[in-house]
Amino acid sequence: MRNNRRIVDHPVLGKLSDRKEITFTFDGQTYTGYEGDTIASALLANGVRTLRVHEESGKPRGIYCNIGHCFECRVNVNDEPGVRACLTEVKDNMVVKSGRVLPSPLVSTVNDTLPRTYAEFIEQQEDKKGEV
Amino acid sequence: MDHITICRCEEVTLEDIKNTAKKHQCTAREIKLRTRAGMGYCGGRTCRPAVDAVMEQVTGEKPGHDIPLKVQPPVRPVSLSTLRGKQDEK
Repeated sequence: MRNNRRIVDHPVLGKLSDRKEITFTFDGQTYTGYEGDTIASALLANGVRTLRVHEESGKPRGIYCNIGHCFECRVNVNDEPGVRACLTEVKDNMVVKSGRVLPSPLVSTVNDTLPRTYAEFIEQQEDKKGEV
Repeated sequence: MDHITICRCEEVTLEDIKNTAKKHQCTAREIKLRTRAGMGYCGGRTCRPAVDAVMEQVTGEKPGHDIPLKVQPPVRPVSLSTLRGKQDEK
């Protein structure tokens, strides 16, 4: 099941021409792709759809717009962060790493009760007095 | 439908935007500051039309130029190292 998820004979575009095979690594694992592939297409042909996880929540992300617009597929290429996998051509011996969850010291609260105005602040203070 | 993600960079759902807009009756700009929708890596280039559309539905605010959402996306995002010209780091 490696590097075989490709349309080999397309009704409009014709047969897939023989291209030079190259190898690269993604998160330490070695994959093969063809010359001219983008990082995203080479990984997709290998069945890898998760290119990174959201920095805060850790939810998986992959190809979204595939035209370099949305930055959802950004990966770390040869120690350069924020490289769009959908636009970058894969090269031999390329070292690709996926995005990881970053530490988040400030956990946001959904129900924020912070006052918007001074009047609201006074109101909240009054409410607190009432509770006590 | 409401659990659909509008801003993928900052993980803001349609529900978040709707609720915030209803609760505070605020402008699109305030929505951006409260929920962070459109403040992520892509610079709001992906979700801004969606946020504007939701705002028009909820508060009737039409996307205009009077109170801008303050999104000034570049035509193409360019890294500073590209502007500087590639140099060997020493």
